[in-house]
Amino acid sequence: MINGPVENEARAALENIERRRQQIVAMINIPWWYWGSVGIGWIALGAITDLHNPWATSGGTLLFGAAHASIAWRVLDGRHGSGQLSVRANLVSRHVPFYVLGGLIALAALTALFATVLTMHHVGHPVTISSVFVAIIVIIGGPLFMAAVRRHAAQTITS
Amino acid sequence: MTVEPRFDELIHPSTRLSIVALLASADWIDFAFVRDHLKLSDSALSKQFATLEEAGYIAIERTVIKHRRRVQVRLTPSGRQAFDGHVAALQAIVSLSPTADLPVD
Repeated sequence: MINGPVENEARAALENIERRRQQIVAMINIPWWYWGSVGIGWIALGAITDLHNPWATSGGTLLFGAAHASIAWRVLDGRHGSGQLSVRANLVSRHVPFYVLGGLIALAALTALFATVLTMHHVGHPVTISSVFVAIIVIIGGPLFMAAVRRHAAQTITS
Repeated sequence: MTVEPRFDELIHPSTRLSIVALLASADWIDFAFVRDHLKLSDSALSKQFATLEEAGYIAIERTVIKHRRRVQVRLTPSGRQAFDGHVAALQAIVSLSPTADLPVD
């Protein structure tokens, strides 16, 4: 039978291991500059759309999409938030990039809906105003979403 | 996959266990991250890394990015196997103890 110091030592070692895992889980994140860039890009795209120039709108949308695609694959998995480490894939939900992209698509629809309402009320620069509103959601909501991802990952590894 | 419990004397000391536990949850980690999170000096951490590297448990990669020296450390497959076996051994010790949690009806 095992008891006394050996058992206590084993328990302490397992607690230590758990604490270290939680330190790595705390590093799951999408860099702050990603949310900032998406927010600024969103407002810029809204302002371009308000110019009512289809070429500028199409070009801006293409540029925004290309810029997003070039950085998204590196950061959206949430495993490289700090640059000081790469979190192991099994600690982070592999659905995170799909949730973020799904959220951005939903916010694009919200931007269009809000801009339509503003247009109906004859408000000037409706897409720009709508984009500012959505950019604030992105900049505040992005980090909040990643905090929820971290909480979920912490609960998953302890259960 | 079932892991065979195997108590590893090399990993078990508290500092080394902390280092390996951090590395086990990451693909790679910067030297500075481990040093700062375990509150160790550069020399103390280097010594522990040397022991683990000698045992073949970790691999150390030194690179220079934008004139800055960077040291990245990762667990090798044999290091990961040893860590998993050690965790299984610790769990076995705890589960065999008379004070282990009993199932609740």
